[in-house]
Amino acid sequence: MLLEVEAVRKSYRRRGGAEVLAVRDVSLQLSAGRILAFLGPNGAGKTTTIKMIAGLVKMDAGDVRIAGHSLRTAGASARRQLGAVLEGSRNLYWRLTPVENIEYWAGIRGVPRREARERGLELLRLCGLEEKAHQTVQQLSRGMQQLVAICAALVHRPNLLLLDEPTLGLDLDAADRIQQLVEQLARVNGVGILLTTHQMEVAQRLSDEVVLIREGAVILHGPTDVVRERLSGDAYVFELAGNLSAEQRAYLAKRDAEFDGSLAFRVVLSSPGDFYEVIARLQPCPIVRASRDTADLGAVFRHYVHGDGNEGAQP
Amino acid sequence: MILTALAAELRRELTQLFRYPTELLSEVLFISIVFYGLFLGGSYMAGRGILGSRLSDIIIGYTLWTLMMGAIGNMGWAIANEAQNGTLEQVCLAPLPIRVIFALRSVANLAYDFVLTGLALVLIMVLTGHFIHFSPLELVPVILSIGVSFGVGYLVASVTILFKRSNQFLNLLQFGVLFLVMTPFTDLPGVFKYIAVVVPIGPQMGVLRHLALGQSSFPGEEAWLLLGIVNMLLWLVIGYAVYGAAHERARSRGALGHY
Repeated sequence: MLLEVEAVRKSYRRRGGAEVLAVRDVSLQLSAGRILAFLGPNGAGKTTTIKMIAGLVKMDAGDVRIAGHSLRTAGASARRQLGAVLEGSRNLYWRLTPVENIEYWAGIRGVPRREARERGLELLRLCGLEEKAHQTVQQLSRGMQQLVAICAALVHRPNLLLLDEPTLGLDLDAADRIQQLVEQLARVNGVGILLTTHQMEVAQRLSDEVVLIREGAVILHGPTDVVRERLSGDAYVFELAGNLSAEQRAYLAKRDAEFDGSLAFRVVLSSPGDFYEVIARLQPCPIVRASRDTADLGAVFRHYVHGDGNEGAQP
Repeated sequence: MILTALAAELRRELTQLFRYPTELLSEVLFISIVFYGLFLGGSYMAGRGILGSRLSDIIIGYTLWTLMMGAIGNMGWAIANEAQNGTLEQVCLAPLPIRVIFALRSVANLAYDFVLTGLALVLIMVLTGHFIHFSPLELVPVILSIGVSFGVGYLVASVTILFKRSNQFLNLLQFGVLFLVMTPFTDLPGVFKYIAVVVPIGPQMGVLRHLALGQSSFPGEEAWLLLGIVNMLLWLVIGYAVYGAAHERARSRGALGHY
């Protein structure tokens, strides 16, 4: 296992002296080449947990193991396995160029200059930033800066990458490039990636596993598709290429179908046999698509965070 | 790994020095003009003749004070600046202990400060028309004083890592350093002179003062040099230990990157 977080806990003392439990016995695991979306509302304890994994916040209890190295007993070895791009930070020196930044961050991690330069240029090429390699970072767009920050975090070839809100505030193109890079790092290079995001479509596209936390405690943990499937129920979506007759519409109305325009509708089926009955009733209207309406991660998030799905389940 | 990290720090410092040379030049001008203003004021009040006899001492004291203030303030300034710019946490992610990284960074900053004070020294000598003769022997107490400054710099860094501000503290501290540079602790009567052993740069300044006055040796010089080494080690150990505790406190409060 690449990352093992074992019952980490953190509390802070407020100015008045009251103690606030920010993270309550959070445990999670991540394997190499997998992407874990660490989700939760603002103030849920995501950033505190990520910073405990990175060793930036001292945990009160529990332990973090990165590639078998305990953060408590072998902190330096654990940190060697780790790269991170933190939210709300520049992560880079703006008066240096991307190459100079990469050389610097590599240098303080013990990577010799020549190796760092070659690796840096290779990473910048991968991100399509080779032409910007020698411009100062302050001259780059926000999206490019974020890509350079990811490159700098990868220069020492870490096995684990922590990304805190990597696409926050970026335009669509930049966000897309970062998502492509994240996918490539995990699928091709075998880097384990733990990312936090409030953008559920980003989490849905990228993640293999999801951990949802609320008020400092894990309320859901499991493979993304299983988590979505669990909430999907028996709703189906049909898309048509022609208009329905009045009789067909009446039939669907009886089944409480929800129409999205005149050519698409969503209907909840009570048994698998119902599916064939609906298909038969739609004849001869051409059907373009008929599929199970899988819940998106946004719906899962809303269900567990705002709804009643807080049973702390592992699907 | 330490050498690679030191090379990275030096390279970063040099890159910025060559990319923004006007910053260095403006600092050189500022340091020289402040000294020249003090020199003109002192000449007016005390008379050029009286001042002239101690001018070497004053120039050396001022230059050392500038170097020491750099060495004391660099770590704290770097922490405050990096916290504000959002790079401090990235530095803390490196496998090397943060205290070692800051020490390496201080060495790199010192290289910059040597260039800065060297240029300012030349300009001061040209402006005052007084050229000092600096013996290589005088470098020994200067280097030991800078070692002490690193120790005190760790104390400044300790305050900064907790509160992310060090400007007010440094403003006050520069008068303290001026007091330490100018007070002849080693010449105090009787056993009081041994206060110098524990006072930051006490023994070093005693040796330097006598060397600057042209005394190639003075009573107990070797012993004071030895005590200078003890004094440096003492402040380095105190600073290093206090910073370690302050860093852990900041980590515990979850306030490493910000206040």
